[in-house]
Amino acid sequence: MPHISLAAEKLGYFWGLPITNALLTTWLVMVLLIFLAWMVSRNLQMVPSRIQSLTELVIGGLYDFFSQVTGKHIALFFPLLASLFLFIITANWVGLLPGVGTVGFFKTHETEAVVPNKELAVEPVQDSHVSPTDAEALPETVSSEEKEEFVPLFRGATADLNTTLGLALVAVLAIQYFGFVTLGGHYSTRFLNFKNPIEFFLGILETVSEISKVISFAFRLFGNIFAGEVLLAVMAFLMPFIVPLPFLMLELFVGFIQALVFSMLTAVFLNVAVSHGGGESHHG
Amino acid sequence: MDKLGIEPSLLLAQVVNFSIIMFVLSRLLYKPVLAMLEKRRREIEEGLQLTAKMQEEEEKMAVKKQKLLEAARKEAAAIVEEAKRQGKDEEKEILALAHKEAAAIMEKGKAEVEHVRETMEKGIRKQSVTLAAGMAERLLARAMNSQDRHALLKKQISELERSV
Repeated sequence: MPHISLAAEKLGYFWGLPITNALLTTWLVMVLLIFLAWMVSRNLQMVPSRIQSLTELVIGGLYDFFSQVTGKHIALFFPLLASLFLFIITANWVGLLPGVGTVGFFKTHETEAVVPNKELAVEPVQDSHVSPTDAEALPETVSSEEKEEFVPLFRGATADLNTTLGLALVAVLAIQYFGFVTLGGHYSTRFLNFKNPIEFFLGILETVSEISKVISFAFRLFGNIFAGEVLLAVMAFLMPFIVPLPFLMLELFVGFIQALVFSMLTAVFLNVAVSHGGGESHHG
Repeated sequence: MDKLGIEPSLLLAQVVNFSIIMFVLSRLLYKPVLAMLEKRRREIEEGLQLTAKMQEEEEKMAVKKQKLLEAARKEAAAIVEEAKRQGKDEEKEILALAHKEAAAIMEKGKAEVEHVRETMEKGIRKQSVTLAAGMAERLLARAMNSQDRHALLKKQISELERSV
């Protein structure tokens, strides 16, 4: 049974910053995206090449799609929304590449104290299953204090809560920022309103709802992608050939849908924020 | 938090990563690609507009040509009409002149005839007087003596001359 860890594994430290495998994949995704963008934009032509046509299709499609939601504010919001979509979908799909999660090395832990933090099975019931198999796989000579652990070199960037929470924070903070930029001081009445008790109470609800947005954004994306990776790992463990293929297809689709949902919801919330006080100000 | 693997430094790193991505992509990808799309859209629009304009111009030209043709035809017809009218006028004038001339010639002819007739009458009268005088002289010479004859003759002649 493959080892499953909710947290991203640490590969090492750099100036006090822990370098996890998810962070490494994030950098890979960044390099990939920036390289592709550079490839396309370095010679844009009136009569497009194939790669330029494809890029124009994607960017133009996203632009039209988001402009349906945000209307006249699209020029302001587009960089955020398109970056969210492109980054998330690339990270999701890179996480499905062969080698991600499977290529790695064994790391020996000297102290038991670190191990429980590092290792966390999805469920306690599984934990009990995992431990004996792990014990079987390990050499006899390994003592209880010196445990060898498999550390994958790469891990899907969105299968790490730090990434998804970071994205969620950026999205929700951007919603507040654009709210203030478009509406000015008036936007604060969304959260602090002393006109009457109902409005005041609604303000509290709005505040809570903004905080809950961060959490729901982060855990929706993380949950979907992490569950997909676990599912694929389990399927590959049970039957390595053919059987995982439909699930791989499903995960490709899930990766696309989650990227769409994340950016789409951000677009909707942005729209709600900038139209506060304009009739349809309050949402659930 | 620990079990979920959330660490503030990693969180910050991912926020920074995403910010970099957003900044670089908007500079490197969105701006130029959207500008290119907009440029192409504008160019196509301009091309279509130009085509429409050209078509309109062509139609206008056709209408103008038709109008010019129509006007030329009308003018030609007017010129022909005018020429006809003028011809008729001239004809009338010529005819009138001819009539007048003919009338004048006739008049002249009549006058001449009258003159000739008068002259002839005068001549005839003179001749007839001379003839009558000669006849009377011859007749009287037989019947009267010379004295009576002379007296009577003189009387007769003077009477005759008076009547003429």
